[in-house]
Amino acid sequence: MKQEFTLQVEADNSFSVLNRIVNVLSRRRVTIKKLIASEDQADYTRGAAVLLVYTSYDLIEKVKHQLEKLIEVESASYYEGSNHYYLASEKSNKQSVAV
Amino acid sequence: MDALLTKNDKQAESDKQFRGQISGSEILLRCLIAEGTEIIFGYPGGAIMPVYDALYGYSDKLKHILVRHEQGAIHAAQGFTRATGRPGVVLATSGPGATNLVTGLADALIDSTPLVCITGQVFAHLLGTDAFQETDVVNTTIPVTKWNVQVTEAKDIAAAVAKAFFIATTGRPGPVLIDITKNAQNELITELPYKKCEHIRTYSPKPQLQLTNIKTAAQLINTAERPYILAGQGVLLSGATQELLKFAEKTDIPVACTLLGLGAFPTDHPNYVGFLGMHGNYGPNVNTNECDVLIAIGMRFDDRVTGNVTRYAKQAKIIHIDIDKAEINKIIHTTVAIHADAREALEALEIRCDKSDHEDWIASFRTFNRIEYERVTHKEFNPTGKITMAEVINQLSIQTNGEAVVVSDVGQHQMITSRYYRFKNPRTQITSGGAGTMGFALPAAMGAKLGRPEKQVVAVIGDGGYQMTVQELGTIMQYKIPVKIVVLNNSFLGMVRQWQQLFHKKRYSFTEMANPDFLKIADAYSIQARRVENRDALQSAIQEMLGVSEPYFLEVVVGKEDNVFPMVPAGGCVSDVLLELPTTHD
Repeated sequence: MKQEFTLQVEADNSFSVLNRIVNVLSRRRVTIKKLIASEDQADYTRGAAVLLVYTSYDLIEKVKHQLEKLIEVESASYYEGSNHYYLASEKSNKQSVAV
Repeated sequence: MDALLTKNDKQAESDKQFRGQISGSEILLRCLIAEGTEIIFGYPGGAIMPVYDALYGYSDKLKHILVRHEQGAIHAAQGFTRATGRPGVVLATSGPGATNLVTGLADALIDSTPLVCITGQVFAHLLGTDAFQETDVVNTTIPVTKWNVQVTEAKDIAAAVAKAFFIATTGRPGPVLIDITKNAQNELITELPYKKCEHIRTYSPKPQLQLTNIKTAAQLINTAERPYILAGQGVLLSGATQELLKFAEKTDIPVACTLLGLGAFPTDHPNYVGFLGMHGNYGPNVNTNECDVLIAIGMRFDDRVTGNVTRYAKQAKIIHIDIDKAEINKIIHTTVAIHADAREALEALEIRCDKSDHEDWIASFRTFNRIEYERVTHKEFNPTGKITMAEVINQLSIQTNGEAVVVSDVGQHQMITSRYYRFKNPRTQITSGGAGTMGFALPAAMGAKLGRPEKQVVAVIGDGGYQMTVQELGTIMQYKIPVKIVVLNNSFLGMVRQWQQLFHKKRYSFTEMANPDFLKIADAYSIQARRVENRDALQSAIQEMLGVSEPYFLEVVVGKEDNVFPMVPAGGCVSDVLLELPTTHD
């Protein structure tokens, strides 16, 4: 059964990294409902993407491993539902205002 | 070299040396040499010209093979790599030069083949402007590379090359691509000592062996009555053939090989029970649904191996050893997952597994395989009509003692080669497995021969696939690469026709081919050639082919509508394997 998951991906902040992440999801036909991508403010060589996706348990687990297979990706983790996503979104908005 | 330079060239050279600077192109070549590269397969063009210009001065250290199409370059590099274990290197220009590599990249990615491909790109200031021969190569090749990068400054070339070789050759190997803009190739900078890459923060190619999982697996194996090993290419890639042999002999477990795993276990060993998959041997397929513990090593449960997964080895406990974590539980749910290098895992398992005897279980494979011999193989080897593909491969296997490097293309002849050539040694079976790329074999055989010149290298190809990359005969002619080419000609796209016969009521929709005179084509390239249509001439023709020290082309006209059996029908499970044409479809 499909449901919402928040996918958190920590990665190098390099060209094309977001494309690589999105490619893994689109190949598996995982729907992206919302997305936040950010550069680490303390270290510009690192970045993160937080995605609100709609898929099944089985697929999110497989996608996690396929994302971690990307050379630039340090880790991928997922959480049930959208709470984690909105917390990340709030944090990102505050940082933008501060800048 | 100096004699070929004009006065101005000489002046320019000395100016550069005076300043102690070299071009990005020269840095690239020096990096390749530092990584042990001796041979490059490539094709020049506008955006890679500075590299080719630099290559002119390095021809004593880097042998460049000028192919006739970039697809030929990458398949040749694949053949070189699969035969030698060393990463293949490819050079191509921007735009169509780079996009012509895409098929080979996809092929190398799915078949875990380490390649380093370098493409030229337009000047950095023209990126995104639709300049002449500009294609977004990085984004085009993301899905078909293990890693890729664009370099726009000469100072970044060395680090990119070091990273490329590290990524291509470690963990689960794969192809990488470096796209270098022309300004970076031309730019003069001070060269720094080359530093090999040994660590990337976000990349952990070598998993830590989990001994608890090894112990659990060993317990399962020690108590199993019908354990069964499926050996994939991971065994070859990790150099674990001896470890597999030792483990299988101690535990007396039967071993079957996947298509790319052929050569990982000697076919003349008493524990070897056959080839797996849609057209694999009868016993290995049927007994997959009879075993109680299935030990899958360095294989990824491809759908051509599993058939219908909902009915695949449901009765068995599954132990899956793989270096790629994403492969574990991807297709088949495992009981014990061993995320590890195959060699390390086998060493650890062998120590913890008891000496055992599974004579009756192994005998059950032999019983099934005898049935297959009587109903399929015997007929294939002793036909009454036209020459069969099986006869040709059997004769080739006998005359080469199973020791040649055999490069097959894709289709019926590929399955027949995998079934009837009795591979004895690692890295002697080269074929396009996961991608199923027609046109692979001819260039791949060139690369294999250049990598292993001491070996007899035979390309076995169908008449369809042969015409997809036939232009590489020019490369074979120019460099006098003594590959032996066997075309099994049935004037059909045979495997598609077989499916049309079985599943589409014999509606042969666009699969019959009117072919050219292949001997005349070979003759145009000064390649000795012979056609065999009668069985009486087959043995001597193969003998003649193997006896010459030059390239040789042998066309064998085979039965037009012969089929490959056994066959797991589409949608069927491994134990549904058919030994002959179902009567309802006759």
